[in-house]
Formats: sequence, structure tokens, C-alpha cells
Amino acid sequence: MKNAIIIRYCEIHLKGKNRGFFEKLLKDNIKKSLKDVDCTFTAMHSRYLIEDFDEIDYELICEKLKKIAGIHNFSPALVVENDFENIFEACKFLCKDKEGTFKVITNRADKTFSPNSMETSMLLGGRLLEIYGDKLKVDVKEPSFAVNVDIREDKKTFVYTDMIPCMSGMPVGSAGKGLLLISGGIDSPVAGYMICKRGMKLNALHFHSFPYTGEAAKEKVKKLTKKVGEYNGGINLFVVSFTHIQEEIHKNCPEEFMITIMRRFMMRIAEKIAIMNGDQTIITGESLGQVASQTIESITSSNSVVKMPVLRPLIAFDKIDIIDISRKIDTYETSILPYEDCCTVFLPKFPAIKPNLEKVIKAESKLDIDGLIDEALKNIEKFSF
Amino acid sequence: MIYLDNAATTKPSENAVNLAKKYLENCYFNPSALYQFGIDCSNDIKEAKEYILKTLGATNHNVIFNSCGSEGDNQAIFGLVKRGTFVTDKGEHSAVYKSFLELKNKGQNIIFCDLNKNGSVNTDKLFQIIKENRVDFLSIMHVNNETGAINDVALIGKKVKEINPKIIFHVDGVQSYGKIPFRITKDIDLFSISAHKINALKGTGALIIKKGLVISPIIFGGGQENGLRSGTENVFGIKTFQYASKEHYDSIKENYEKVLSFYNYFNENIDKENTITISNGNVSPYIFTFSVKGIRGEIMMHALEEKGVIVGNGSACSSKNRFSRVIEACGYSEEVLDGVVRISFSPYIDFEEIKEAVSIINSTILLLKRKMNK
Repeated sequence: MKNAIIIRYCEIHLKGKNRGFFEKLLKDNIKKSLKDVDCTFTAMHSRYLIEDFDEIDYELICEKLKKIAGIHNFSPALVVENDFENIFEACKFLCKDKEGTFKVITNRADKTFSPNSMETSMLLGGRLLEIYGDKLKVDVKEPSFAVNVDIREDKKTFVYTDMIPCMSGMPVGSAGKGLLLISGGIDSPVAGYMICKRGMKLNALHFHSFPYTGEAAKEKVKKLTKKVGEYNGGINLFVVSFTHIQEEIHKNCPEEFMITIMRRFMMRIAEKIAIMNGDQTIITGESLGQVASQTIESITSSNSVVKMPVLRPLIAFDKIDIIDISRKIDTYETSILPYEDCCTVFLPKFPAIKPNLEKVIKAESKLDIDGLIDEALKNIEKFSF
Repeated sequence: MIYLDNAATTKPSENAVNLAKKYLENCYFNPSALYQFGIDCSNDIKEAKEYILKTLGATNHNVIFNSCGSEGDNQAIFGLVKRGTFVTDKGEHSAVYKSFLELKNKGQNIIFCDLNKNGSVNTDKLFQIIKENRVDFLSIMHVNNETGAINDVALIGKKVKEINPKIIFHVDGVQSYGKIPFRITKDIDLFSISAHKINALKGTGALIIKKGLVISPIIFGGGQENGLRSGTENVFGIKTFQYASKEHYDSIKENYEKVLSFYNYFNENIDKENTITISNGNVSPYIFTFSVKGIRGEIMMHALEEKGVIVGNGSACSSKNRFSRVIEACGYSEEVLDGVVRISFSPYIDFEEIKEAVSIINSTILLLKRKMNK
């Protein structure tokens, strides 16, 4: 008996003539992710197979697979020769810790194998009941688990019971490139994850505001970006100093428009950095109505300074749902670390909730917008994870 | 760089490290080993203990070497009195404060005494607590690490024991050892100290304990330190501690005078209009804490860092636990709590650096005020 992992994809099935492109991309992403693990990787029809790995690496492989967009689920399996007794031993082994109801599903590609699929299922089920009759019962309609037996033409049989759900979505690299605006909060890493899941390759951009925000805040963002990068096959983080822009807005513009004008500057800078890196879109963690800068009027105001499409994957999500995802992707605990981010300094007491675009344009007219942006773009820090 | 966060930690003394270097390179033997090399190491640890007791003028105490001040505080609090009434003050370092909260979780009776405005314990209230309760254990810090306020622990010990001789009295001496001239009195049962606050290494500390007291270990194992603190002794750390102690104690009075001149310069020259001094009255000159009106402590800290002046801040700039628990207990308003900055000195700084630091701090306050307020 040998260990193997059967990997399945989902949405790629819906693709037509270009299906090969997606399959190859997913295959490459998996291979890249497992490059440091000693194992063999085989592409089969509609699924992939990992074999010949050390048992000690099993958990590591599982963790890696769970972070690859495009994989729907995987099953840890036992591989035996096409021989009834061997197959039964594998079934027995997999059921030893199981309880409840089950059925056996046999898929017999090797038509020379006897008995046939129905009979194999019945015989295996019967033999399992002989041993585990005290804790297992057969239920062919709604079993609590299924024992799957795949008898293949290459004289190998795969036996498995569990299907471990993964990210699903589309392979990273299949949906272009985007620039994620990342703060130190809960939402933006989740937005990044959601877009990775749809196959987009990400870069990230953070605005830093030293001395109003400290190194610890930047370290926190680096940590969060690295986490998002784990779902993205690595990621680059660009950090731009926002200090002077903030000071100038604070000095020259009405207090209630502070945040609105800041957001407009961030979008302008993001678009320029996106173009420099070949990114086709900007991604933000905005959620409609969550804070003053996320009303439709505020979004209109910040959106109007860029031509590039802006994706807001969380726009219709409730905070509680965003928190759930951030816990799932393990960014929540880092996001709630108590360091100031640049949105929270110079915070006006009464920000404009529904900023009027004309008034905003007038309010920022005192600033040397291009000059400030050029200055900010001169000093970009880059980190690769 | 002008480093003014010496209450957080200090730069290891090159001299002390060099003197102790042989314990890294040649005398690396296990002090519990029975061959001569091991016995020599064990004797060298004994010598360090005797030296540390001498610096404190202690004749009736022993030393347990450990890993840090927090460990000493924990062993003192959990190792002697198993149940009863435990008293401390609201200004204690977290090592004591959180240990008391743990005692409370375990069902013990806990009383936190109020502070004076500078962070010292309100002794009228403290003595009243001691009179009104059957107190078993008292822990008061010698020098407050956030404000520098000195508690006269010798006097407190004397009075407390007059009221109730059975009380076990612990003093957290981490910020005073090697800095404030002081003798351990017979009324002080336990005294915790830490090496890295006096230019020795992180990872070494000691608990001074009065002879005859039976304390339980919190780390069990090979029976080192007479069974009171198992784990192979950090000989290099201990010897560096001894040599750094010697450097400090050989010139403790001169150092004190020098640092006092730093404190006085700060106190006289800091921008009075825009700050409030918290380190007032009977305070250690090693710490000068003030609050900048209208500028958060963390922003001040980062702005000074940019100009090469490293200071500590009493308050973390976060929405949760934003304010220092200790300064809040001194009775200051939120505005003051928001702007707390802690300067802490070392005798190894030049007076010129102090002058430069004050000038940078004053100009930074003005600059930030101009930028942040319209």
C-alpha cells in the first residue's frame, strides 16, 4: 500500500477549447508550490496525482494545496495493485477510525478486473461489515461517508474516503494582473484573497506615513501581504510615503474633505504604479457604507480620478462575513494588532459622508497635485515575498 | 544616534563583556560538574553572588540567579505565600501587576493601592490598607519604570512590619539597582533585579531573598541554585552581570550626580508651554517622563527617531490599551495620557548629547504642532 493524493479542479471543467490553457496553468502552479517537496506529480484526465512522497511531508503538502487557487478539493488515497484482497485491505485500513453509515462506490476502468463494479462494491461492503459491523452501517442513499474504489487500467487501484475542500476558483495567472491597495486593516487582505481566488496575479501597494505611523505598522502590512502572497504564488509589496501629501492636505484643504482627498491621491498614485508594473486594475477592500469613505458618493469621488477599472470584491459583504474569511485565511490576528495606519492620523471629527464632487475638486485645487504625486513616486520601497 | 531609552534596556558594557569573555571561550564547563573545571565555574558564580550582595549591603540575604526581572517577581509572588491577602500598588510593572491578576484568578484576595500624581505609592492609603486587613504579602517597586518615582521602600518596610511583622515584603528593584544608592534592610524579604538595565546582558537576573525564608521554585529540574531555580546556570551572563555591577557601584554617586544634571537640564529646558512634566518630586534622575500637549507619544517617538533621538513612549498608539495603565492611575486626563514620552538616561551619555537631544525635542514639538494643528 502506498500513499497518494488525488487533486481535483472544478470550474475549469466548464471551459471549452481553451481548457488546456487553464489546466496547464494550474499544473504549473501546483508544481511550483511543491518544488521543495520530494514527490512525483502526474497529470491525469481531469485531475492530478501526487505520489512517492515521504509520509512526514503529507501535512505540508496538504497545507500547500489548500492555498492554490483552482483546486476544488483533494483526497488522501491509498494505492494498491488491482487485486481484490489488496483493495479490501486498503478499505479496511481507511475505515478503521470511521463511524456511522457508508457505501462503497467502485469505478472500474480496467474492464478485465473481475468481479464487476456493482459486485465489487457489494462484496467490499459486506466484508467491511463483517469487521466493523458494531460501528458501521450501510446506507446507499445518504451515507456519512463513501469508500471510493478507482480500479484503473494501469493496474493501480486508488482507494479513498475523504475529500478535503480547497480554495476553488481559477488558477492564479489566468485572469490578468492587478494592484491591491493594502492597509493594516481586516478588509484589504481579504479583498486580495478573493481576487487571487479568481485567478488574478497580484502586486500590493501600501501608503506609509512616518512619523505619524511607525515601523511596526509597516511590519504588520508586510506580514499581511506575505499571507496574501501565499495564495498568490508570491507577491510584491510597494510602499509609498504619504506623509507630505497628508500634511499638505491637512494644511490647505477643509478638514471634512481630508479623507476624501487622501483617497483621491491614493488612487492616482496606485494607477501610476499599476501602469509601471503592467497591472490592469486596482483592487480595494471597500465595503459599501462601512465607513464615511465608503459611501457611494465617496467612492464616486475617489473613482473619478482614475481611468483604470477598480475592483471592489467586498463591496456587498457585511463586516462579520469579511472577518470570517480573514480568520479562515489567517490574517485576522495580524490585522487587529494595534498599530496606527495612515488613514487614522489627521482624522477629522466630522468627515464629509457624502462629499460633493465639485466641492472636492475645488477644495484640492490649492494643492500641487502632480508635484506631490511625482515626489511620492520618487521613493518607492519594494519588498518581495 | 542619541539613545535615551535606557530604562528599556542598556548597551552592554564592552569592558564587562570582555572580562567575562573567558566564560564563553574557555571556561564553558557545566557548574554542576564534579571535575575541577566545573567546580571552578561554580565558585565563580558564588563570587558573583557575594559581590551582588555586597553592592546592596546585604548581610542576611541570599541570591538566586535567574533569567530576568520578571522571573524574580513571579517567583517572589507565587513562591512564598500560597494563599491569603496580597497587596501591591497600581504603578507596578506588568510582571507584578499581571501576576497579581493571576492570583486573583486563583481566588486570592488582592488589593491595589492608589498612587500619587508622580506615580509613587500613596503611603497614607497603603498603611491604612495594612492596618485594616490581615495582609500576607506586599509588593512595592523601588523606582517606577514609567515615571521614575521613588518609593522609600526601606521606610515602607519598617512601618509595615511594625503594623504586621508577619507580612512578606517584596521589592521590584529592577530600575534602581546600580543606579540609586541603597542598602537592603532587614524588612525587605525579597528584591528582584535585572542585568540588562545596568549595561549587562538580557537573559540574566536575580532574586535576593532573606535567609531563612522557604521559597518554592517555579522551574523544576536538575536542582541548580539549591533547588530553587533549576536549569544550567548562564555563567557568562552572570559574570557579565557581576562586572557591570562593579562598574556601576564603583562610581554610583558620581553617576547619580551626572545623571541628575541631565535630568535637571531636561526639566529646565524642555518646552514648558507645550509639555507637562510627569516625573516630579522624589524621582530617580534616570527617568524623565513628560507629555506633549496635542501630539501622540508614538508620533513624537517616530519623529524623534527620524532625527536620531531614541526615546520610549508610555502609551501605545492604538485604539485598544491606548493609554498607559500606570500614568492613567496617576490621575491624568486623556489628553495628557495621549502624549506621554519617556526619556531615560545612562551615565555613559555626554552632556553635549543631552543638550542636543533637548534642542531636537523642542524643535520637533514645534514642527509637529505646526503640521498637525492648523
